[in-house]
Amino acid sequence: MEALRKKFSLTLPQNSIRIIRIIAALLLLALIIVRAMDVAAKSQFGADTWLRLSVSGLIIGGMYALIAIGYTLVYGILFMINFAHGEVMMIGTFGGYFVFEAFNAIQVSGADGNQLSFLNAYPVIAILLAFLAGMTIAALSGLFLEKFAYRPLRGAPRLVPLISAIGASIFLQNAGQLLFGPQRRQYINPVVLDRGIGWNLEVAGSTVVLTYTGIFSLILSAILMVGLYLLVQRTKLGRAMRAVAQDKKTAALMGINVDQIISRTFVISGALAGAAGVMWGIHNGLFNYYVGFLPGIKAFTAAVLGGIGNIPGAMLGGMFLGIVESVGPAVLGIDFQLKDVLAFTILILVLIFRPSGILGEALTEEKV
Amino acid sequence: MNKQSIQKSAASGMVFGIIVIFFALIGFTVVISGLIQKALGQSLGVGQMPSTSSFLIFLGLLGIWNGWRASRQDKHETLNTKKVLGRSTIAGLVAGVLVMVYALIVGVLDNRGINLRTYLSQLSSESVRFFLFNQTIVVGILIHVFYSTLMAVVGGFLALASERSRERVKSTRESIQKWSQDHWLGKLQGNPYVSYVLMGVVLLLLVLLPRTWGAYWNYVMGTVGIYVLLGLGLNIIVGFSGQLVLGYVAFFAIGAYTFALTTSPEPHNLVWNFWIALGVAVLAAALSGILIGLPIMRLRGDYLAIVTLGFGEIIRILLRSDILKDFTMGPRGVRNIAGPTLFGRSFTTDVDFMYLIILAVLLSIFLARRWQESSIGRAWLAISQDETVAQATGVNTQKYKLLALSLGAAFAGLGGALFASRNQFTGPEDHALMVSINVLVLVIVGGMGSIPGVILGAFTLKGLPEILREVENYRLLVFGALLVVMMIIRPEGLWPARRPKLEVPVGQDNEPVHLPATVGGEK
Repeated sequence: MEALRKKFSLTLPQNSIRIIRIIAALLLLALIIVRAMDVAAKSQFGADTWLRLSVSGLIIGGMYALIAIGYTLVYGILFMINFAHGEVMMIGTFGGYFVFEAFNAIQVSGADGNQLSFLNAYPVIAILLAFLAGMTIAALSGLFLEKFAYRPLRGAPRLVPLISAIGASIFLQNAGQLLFGPQRRQYINPVVLDRGIGWNLEVAGSTVVLTYTGIFSLILSAILMVGLYLLVQRTKLGRAMRAVAQDKKTAALMGINVDQIISRTFVISGALAGAAGVMWGIHNGLFNYYVGFLPGIKAFTAAVLGGIGNIPGAMLGGMFLGIVESVGPAVLGIDFQLKDVLAFTILILVLIFRPSGILGEALTEEKV
Repeated sequence: MNKQSIQKSAASGMVFGIIVIFFALIGFTVVISGLIQKALGQSLGVGQMPSTSSFLIFLGLLGIWNGWRASRQDKHETLNTKKVLGRSTIAGLVAGVLVMVYALIVGVLDNRGINLRTYLSQLSSESVRFFLFNQTIVVGILIHVFYSTLMAVVGGFLALASERSRERVKSTRESIQKWSQDHWLGKLQGNPYVSYVLMGVVLLLLVLLPRTWGAYWNYVMGTVGIYVLLGLGLNIIVGFSGQLVLGYVAFFAIGAYTFALTTSPEPHNLVWNFWIALGVAVLAAALSGILIGLPIMRLRGDYLAIVTLGFGEIIRILLRSDILKDFTMGPRGVRNIAGPTLFGRSFTTDVDFMYLIILAVLLSIFLARRWQESSIGRAWLAISQDETVAQATGVNTQKYKLLALSLGAAFAGLGGALFASRNQFTGPEDHALMVSINVLVLVIVGGMGSIPGVILGAFTLKGLPEILREVENYRLLVFGALLVVMMIIRPEGLWPARRPKLEVPVGQDNEPVHLPATVGGEK
């Protein structure tokens, strides 16, 4: 009997599971390609649509990348998902919004003697201050988040800080709703960054508008990403962060104040999320207390996609996810309502087929 | 007084000042004062501001707590009048001055006729004046400072008094305990019939109460019962087998929609029998648990949480989108869902439904207990404690994790079907992420892995807010804060699991084993 069971055992050796997984992945890929070619044969969309979609994907992708870096930095050091990171971004969005509102209310006389709002008289200062405010308040909320919700749980089983993070996320989201109300608000941009205007490109007989807000966000996110990369690679703080990420105890023995480095990591990731939040407001206009939730989860997807704990991976993953989300529905010929489903599906597929992400190193099961 | 002590007092004062300001900003001061007024037996009309005295009571309680906390900085020192007076005065003053600055800013802005509600939605003109005790700004802020200091000092002296009398309280409590142990409790505990009597009383109450307490209470308690069901199911997944699932609502939705689509005349006109549809809904949910579980069984902890969250959202978005419109009616939802019938008689009154829910809950409690105490339960416990070790000792972790997921999902399916049947309607918005979070919070607050804990959690977290309608808006805020606070001060929950824990001591060294991670892509 025992021998019979062994012979017809359903447990497969480790290797064949891997082969099955590879075959499944290839099949899935083939299905997607067939479907895409099918849709492409119908040629529903012209070159202009594709350009418009990919540019908007790239812009959103830049914001995802900035948020994803925050997830990756924290995960690299604490091995926890900072679930409230999306809410930190929401706080940044509100910070920038209030600065714009305040400057819009202040009247100054312009060069030709007309009464102008401060916002339009000195748009550069206003934008700079809005980003400064958004980044500062988001960085501060990151700092306090770590101090109150995560630090007391250092060394607890892994489920515990995760639940605390979920709690902090719910708390911040609802505090945002109660403080600022559930209604959607509109960012008041300076006239130079009006959402409607931009460079007009003639593509395939129709005009594609590359909005200034979009180009601005893309450039700014690129600058911030390069800055962060240099910070991590070239400065003392960056070296300390990498050391703590590799081994906390040894880092402490080498004279690094681990708690301080962790706080600073939260400050940096909060500031990036805050910048992404202000960009989100400037580019998309409408927002409310819920603005951080979906970008938060998608940025997490991006971080996983790129290989969590890996900064260039997070950047790449963010850009990739932004483009897939924007172009994907058109490629696959599905409804644009379903772009969120696409992002979640990618998350699930990545975790099933390649949990280490595009750029991540092979992970043991313990880490996944 | 040394410098450290002053700093600590000031920090306590700051925390309390910020809490008061935060409460004022979210409008909680008004709501809680209204509640206090009602508790004192005075009526309060809709849209009417509560009285100043109830607000003073609320502020006073916070101030007393502030003074108490500031005075008792160290467990091992003995307090004296001088220490207490200094500390509590500082704490009260700091809190008072913070609140004063806030009140001044808000009051002046409001006086200038600026509509603060455009930015901060709770700050209506009335609530600002309420915060200033309906006085002028100067008088209002002075009251805040004096009152805060006064109450902190009172709190400090209460702390002193409690410390002085601690020995007496302790000895009294011990003697009472000893007396009750000797005279009745000890005898009762040794008596096997007591638990039967208790069970009998509970059963009698369960039979009698739904008949007597009216439709409103049946509705509230029915909701609580459904959440007990959901909590028991999630407890199997999170509490017993240790897998954090955030998309529990997916199974709830599958149960509700399966039931709805098989019993409603629209859109498929499959008007099945209630009981068959119920069974099919439970089976469908259990199956979906296996199907969703199979590919993600390898994932642990945070990854599992976020993937299941993704599943939950996918299902909700699909239900709301247009592609499933012909199949599930899209955003409109399914109407005219059947109620229970037995031998051709319809059981749709609230009392009947309450009995149905009670039956389902009792059955679930019974099943969950049996599973917990069987070998399956021990396998789950092993997995939740340490999966690698469990695997090494011969537990088929994949199988038991899948089993937990599908059994938990089955409970959710049952809950979903009952929910849809009771409301005679189900739509995509019934299945938002909030359901998952509500259930998760009640499981965690009640005590992960503890069945009585889940029931307690459902009653306190789902029942209380239903009764205290005023605080409904603040429920989720409180839930969030509760999750964080529980994790910090009492991670095992209000009513922890009874099972002895054989954990390896957790210390600073017990970080998860991991490979060296790279930040910045360096090896």
